[in-house]
Amino acid sequence: MLPTQLVSQFTQAAINSGAEVIAVKSIGDAAEYIATQITGVLLVPPFLTAGRFKLKSALKKTGISIEVDNFRTAAIQAEAGITGVNFAIADTGTLVLESTHEDVRLATTLPPKQFALLDPEKIVADGLQAVKPLRQLHQRNPRNYIAYVTGPSRTADIERVLTIGAHGPKQLFILLVPGFSNDYLEM
Amino acid sequence: MSKQRSKDYRERIDTALATPKLQDALHQFGDAFLLAREKAFTGHDFEALRGNIATLKSKVRQNHAQLLQQFIANAEAAGSIIYQAKTAADANRYIIELAKQKNATLAVKSKSMVSEETHLSVALEQAGTQALETDLGEWIVQLAGQRPSHMVMPAIHMFKEEVAELFSKETGEQEPAEIEHLVEVARNQLRQSYLDAEIGITGANIAIAETGGIALVTNEGNARLVSTLPKVHVVLVGIEKLVATLEDAAAIIQILPKNATGQLLTSYVTWIRGAVPCDGEEKELHIVLLDNGRSSLTESPQCRDALNCIRCGACANVCPVYQTVGGHVFGHVYIGAIGIILTAFYHGLDNAAELVKACIGCRSCVAVCPSQIDLEEIILHLRETVGDEEGIGAGKSLVFRKVMQNRKLFHSLIKAASLLQKPVTKGEKTIRHLPLFFSPLTEWRTLPAIADKALRDSFNQKPQHVDKPRYRVALFGGCANDFLYPELGLDLIEVMNALDVEVFYPQQQNCCGIPAIYSGDKQTAVELAKQNIEAMLEDHPDYVLTTCPTCAMALKHNFVEALKDNPAWAERAERLSHITVDAASFALNQLDGAAKFAGLATDEKITYHDSCHLKRGVGVWEEPRTLIKDAGYQLVEMNHADRCCGFGGSYSLTSHPDISKKILQDKVADIQASGATCVAMDCPGCMMQIRGGLEKAGVPVRAQHTIELLAEALKKRLDFKK
Repeated sequence: MLPTQLVSQFTQAAINSGAEVIAVKSIGDAAEYIATQITGVLLVPPFLTAGRFKLKSALKKTGISIEVDNFRTAAIQAEAGITGVNFAIADTGTLVLESTHEDVRLATTLPPKQFALLDPEKIVADGLQAVKPLRQLHQRNPRNYIAYVTGPSRTADIERVLTIGAHGPKQLFILLVPGFSNDYLEM
Repeated sequence: MSKQRSKDYRERIDTALATPKLQDALHQFGDAFLLAREKAFTGHDFEALRGNIATLKSKVRQNHAQLLQQFIANAEAAGSIIYQAKTAADANRYIIELAKQKNATLAVKSKSMVSEETHLSVALEQAGTQALETDLGEWIVQLAGQRPSHMVMPAIHMFKEEVAELFSKETGEQEPAEIEHLVEVARNQLRQSYLDAEIGITGANIAIAETGGIALVTNEGNARLVSTLPKVHVVLVGIEKLVATLEDAAAIIQILPKNATGQLLTSYVTWIRGAVPCDGEEKELHIVLLDNGRSSLTESPQCRDALNCIRCGACANVCPVYQTVGGHVFGHVYIGAIGIILTAFYHGLDNAAELVKACIGCRSCVAVCPSQIDLEEIILHLRETVGDEEGIGAGKSLVFRKVMQNRKLFHSLIKAASLLQKPVTKGEKTIRHLPLFFSPLTEWRTLPAIADKALRDSFNQKPQHVDKPRYRVALFGGCANDFLYPELGLDLIEVMNALDVEVFYPQQQNCCGIPAIYSGDKQTAVELAKQNIEAMLEDHPDYVLTTCPTCAMALKHNFVEALKDNPAWAERAERLSHITVDAASFALNQLDGAAKFAGLATDEKITYHDSCHLKRGVGVWEEPRTLIKDAGYQLVEMNHADRCCGFGGSYSLTSHPDISKKILQDKVADIQASGATCVAMDCPGCMMQIRGGLEKAGVPVRAQHTIELLAEALKKRLDFKK
């Protein structure tokens, strides 16, 4: 499949799963978009591309208040968390997040809003194609916690009525940032 | 013991049947599920996908010891602590000890059917550790003091008003019965618990030997919190959840959500391997590998395929019995078709003894199983085991062993019965009321009277005019065609003669034996198989035709299966299987009947009911529709055309008439809504049930066999010629 087809298939599937997909041009644009969506604290766990692209200062520039440590106490009050994405899966609209670092987990499980920065070059066709990079992630870390995230959390446990936002994030924003990272092993 | 058990079971059925709201909910869910599922599989070949799952899971079973060792070695290398629990009690004891060691006052749990299997929460509470369910449905059920009634949607039997009441008690506020609000209440109520709990307990959907890790397939996000915040994580997993590689795990993840809830993928798939960082330290990860009957299930060649189950719950979603009585009746801890089987092995045959009889045998579960498990075959085998252990009942034993195996006695008793019934039939063809304790059987449907003259006695008196027959075929009538609806057999002669085929009726044929199998009496079934093979092959027919798909299944599959290890019979059973075909398929495929009957019929509006054993037993559903349409009838599809009519042989007569009645009412409603004036089908059993239901409900729709409709079309042509 052509890369553009993968991007459009991914985008459609992610939207169908309840995520919002926003194409931006740069990290700066991404930060500005986030500033329009939140008023509270944003958790920024450590991940490679954040450092490389000076994410924190880009976010601060927009006036967002960010938290970079003490997540165990901060996460329960925070409004949102942000991470990069290792890679994505087109047919289901899924993000793959190497979440072994506990702060990545706390930033993506407790706050009601989740932001993810994805380079549209890093999309595989389906879950079976995802196995190769998944195995590489396993080989790199002897111990790991890897999350496939498809849309916000949901439940249909009361009268089978689909309700978005259960115990995890209620909103998932996927920001497509070109030229951000082409390495499936880095977030 | 078993008398009290049966009584309790009957009471549960009565309670469920008296809750129409539950039935409505489960019906609606069943409909929505099928639509969502179909959409989720668009662009995928379900048969290929499930074939792959069956293969990979069967390979795991064959190499289980080695893969388990590999899993343990890899898990330990990643810092996990492994405990192999032989029984449920072992598993609970280990987790309780751990809780004591950690001075744990609170353990948060995400959804785990295995923990339901071991009754872990109760065991922990008794030992002084609160076990808090955090999955919304599980929490609701826990607050209500109940058990889950569905493996994927635990609280599917409850309504928002009940949930609001439970939550109000928790919060001390009056919580409105609005679903979004209630979900928010649960979120807020449970939030602090993840931080307070010393231990987090999850199950696992998959354990991967290659990595020594597990995968969790979830939607709500609570499992991610349970496996992240507490310092100790306990994974309780059955040893059958093992797969060899990440590819195999990916294959399961591809099919599981699609088949469970109709989602392409759940919100979260979480891969956890080893002791990951936790609050500046290493998490303590315990993996409890539970056997609890799984090894003995491996030892059973008839039942072991049940270990291929990936717990999607689809077998319940499509089950007409489940939709009628719910999981608190049709299940023990595990529910639905797979639940019956797992109950027998994990919770003992006694707990499964009533449930094995509750399956109506419609095979709708088999059609949707993502692991290709023949659930019905396994349930029938268990029914036989219960029959051996507890007896099949003195009455049934007398009928099957003493009477049915002796064809002459069986048939002369039927003739005697046809005379004895005169006072109740008053000479009519249907029985509207039965006296005394039989009366409930005719309260909700009429029953056909036994014919004055059986098909076997009138067959040879009907002249056949075929100058140069293309084929000479034998008719296997089956009991209903022979004794209740002989006119159907005579119509078949008309139809076949018109297609230049000569039909004969081997007089030595007997009951096909399926009723005996369904009652757990295999010995009788084998004896009947032999009698019938002998009878049907004797005059070397080109084909053997059936008008009853249950008989077709018996001749095509069951005889072969029953005699495959008997060198004196195996080849003949295969031969009979090979030449047996249902009458509609034969007329269409071998005789080009569609062309022959084209345009002969009136344009009456006809709807078609798929008989379970024709569609899912023999794989035929298009042929009769083609014949009906091409003959000129106007075919309109009803909703749920392939849903069981509730007959199930003795199911509707003796074992579960109350459930049968409800399923029939659904069918009658669908027929009526189609606007047709006639419902066609290819099974005399369904005819008996549906005719009886329509007649009793006063619905002016006739129920006919496809062969009868073709004969009608022919007759019209002849009348026209006159």
